Amino acid sequence: MDDPFNLEDDGLMPFIHRISSEQIIYKSKKNQCKFIGKYVMGDLLGEGSYGKVKEVLDTETLCRKAVKILKRRKLRRIPNGEQNVEREIKLLQQLNHKNVIRLYEVMHNEEKQKMYLIFEYCVSGLQELIDSTPLKKFPIWQAHGYFCQLIDGLEYLHSQGIIHKDIKPSNLLLTTDGLLKISDLGVAEALDMFALDDLCQTSQGSPAFQPPEIANGLDSFPGFKVDVWSSGVTLFNISTGKYPFEGDNIFKLFEKIGEGVFEIPEEVDELLSDLLRGMLHKDPYLRFSLPQVQHHGWFIKRHPRTEPSVRIPPLRGDESRNMTVLKYLESHHGNNLEEDDCSDSHYFTEHDLTAQRLQQELQQHMQQQNSRSAPPSPGTVAAAAGVPSTETRRSRRRDRWRGTFRIRKLSACKQS
Amino acid sequence: MIKMPLFGKSQKSPAEVVKALKEAMLSLEKGDKKVEKAQEDVSKNLLLIKNMLYGTSDSEPQTDIVVAQLSQELYNSGLLVHLIQHLSRVDFEGKKDVAQIFNNILRRQIGTRSPTVEYICTRPEILFTLVQGYEHQDIALNCGTMLRECARYEALAKILLYSEDFYNFFKFVEVSTFDIASDAFSTFKELLTKHKILCAEFLEANYDKVFAHYQGLLNSENYVTRRQSLKLLGELLLDRHNFTVMTRYISNPDNLKLMMNMLKEKSRNIQFEAFHVFKVFVANPNKPKPILDILLRNQEKLVEFLTKFHTDRSEDEQFNDEKAYLIKQIKELRPPEN
Repeated sequence: MDDPFNLEDDGLMPFIHRISSEQIIYKSKKNQCKFIGKYVMGDLLGEGSYGKVKEVLDTETLCRKAVKILKRRKLRRIPNGEQNVEREIKLLQQLNHKNVIRLYEVMHNEEKQKMYLIFEYCVSGLQELIDSTPLKKFPIWQAHGYFCQLIDGLEYLHSQGIIHKDIKPSNLLLTTDGLLKISDLGVAEALDMFALDDLCQTSQGSPAFQPPEIANGLDSFPGFKVDVWSSGVTLFNISTGKYPFEGDNIFKLFEKIGEGVFEIPEEVDELLSDLLRGMLHKDPYLRFSLPQVQHHGWFIKRHPRTEPSVRIPPLRGDESRNMTVLKYLESHHGNNLEEDDCSDSHYFTEHDLTAQRLQQELQQHMQQQNSRSAPPSPGTVAAAAGVPSTETRRSRRRDRWRGTFRIRKLSACKQS
Repeated sequence: MIKMPLFGKSQKSPAEVVKALKEAMLSLEKGDKKVEKAQEDVSKNLLLIKNMLYGTSDSEPQTDIVVAQLSQELYNSGLLVHLIQHLSRVDFEGKKDVAQIFNNILRRQIGTRSPTVEYICTRPEILFTLVQGYEHQDIALNCGTMLRECARYEALAKILLYSEDFYNFFKFVEVSTFDIASDAFSTFKELLTKHKILCAEFLEANYDKVFAHYQGLLNSENYVTRRQSLKLLGELLLDRHNFTVMTRYISNPDNLKLMMNMLKEKSRNIQFEAFHVFKVFVANPNKPKPILDILLRNQEKLVEFLTKFHTDRSEDEQFNDEKAYLIKQIKELRPPEN
């Protein structure tokens, strides 16, 4: 306004408005409700190299589920990406066990080049839980509970001739009722039904969880023992907060693993140490088998709950990780009155409220007249005492019905 | 025993309750005039024991020490055996309490030991009495829940599998009372599938006897029995732990004939289950001559049959893949050269 510089070429100066931050009106991002098939999308649960995982609601069963969204474009860039997904789908479809993640449905969108895998809903995973603790580990009894479930699920996978090959805490998910689910069969291998042994040639699992025979680059190795090893590393990790083998890079790591020498922290008791040594035996043929693990004292033992359990940490400030689909549904149906002050429904009700008030007044007037001419009935006594009688309540409901009916007819007209 | 007069009525010690219950049981067994009184005492004391183990709405379960004393008294007095042998005489609620007490005591662990499991190993008649329970309608389901809890323990499952009584299950799963038959079937299935190595060894060691009996289930008049047993057969054969059993089963031409007949059964569900057993015969890379002969003899018919088999299952990708694979395999079958 009061320009002290008095610049000559006013018109050429770029015209910039300065707006103080209090004056900006923020509009919250609209919770656009999105459907995929019969599923309503919720918030993001996780993100991997393949794509996103989001929470969904099954509109038919009203069950919480999770969708893994895979982009073909991204898959092609990952070595064996597409084959791994194909194989994972094929394997998961034939599995049914309480400790193995269930795949319900696969949908394709050719136009978007996307795939949607509908899984059972898992609220968290072992890795996430560990990361939320200061010492990156569970109390022994809790680690034991998860380990037993892992072994149960693994026994089932092996009974179906499937070697997982990528057992690690981040692939072990948890449901709201504390059930452990083995997930991510992306690099798993199914043995031929008539294969006489479990010899494998390839492995693409996570380096820190690979056994010496793979670190040393052997041509073939017994597959089931790979899972025993990585379950051993997992148990080591979740019960001590450490890894048996570490290295600055994959070469140093594989060198350490290949030597097969590791130290067990002092605080680990004798029974657990014995199990860990058995599961992390360098020679796969001397390494414990799954039945040996199941018969081991530490596995059988009941571990007292001396320490409190590690609980699922809050997600985006939500202590109990409530269903996130709801807000999308609410905005979809336009009844989110708290946030949407300037929504259409507001104007609609402003106009409608006067009409409604007039109608109510008319009704009251008529009722008063009725009560004067007829002897008082229980219904009118209630109305006089300020309690809406069943009669008025019913008539109001009828009005509401009529209203929605009108709207429905209108929308029907629009469509045709 | 320590009594707690502060809290009104002094609590009975485990020893006292067990003693009182045993006396009441004995007079119930004798069946003298005071049956009603005895039954009342039995129910009352059962409830006391149950509350010690599980607690009530306004009291916690007893401490480990009390539970240990209670278990010890139950073993020493032989009361568990009495309760199970004379379960029929206990009233309706009491029967349920017996099952709950039994299952709780069974799950008891001290470190790596399960004392009740060890105790039952020394008194296997407890297990056999429970199996016989399936013959009595009024206690069958109570015995079933106790048996399944026992089957979770390998040592007890082993005793059951290797006993003559196990073969009674082939009879129980077919009884006309549906709830008893299906309860017996779930126990039967648990015994045959829970402990993988034990089950595989058992099936291998007793192959002829078990599968001779199993044949009866597959040929049963009862649709449910036929369907359930066929499904279980498929699960058993396709479990890698039972590899040896599977190879033996699919080498027998009689088994192949049975599956081919079941493929043509009226019920589509049975056809479908039979398919999953039949496929193993065809997929076998080392088919014995008798098997190959049957398949060759029916080569054309099988291809035609399978091509039209359950064509409406277009959604089931895995089934269609397997079907296509079988058709291809059968088409390519050639008699061995010699």
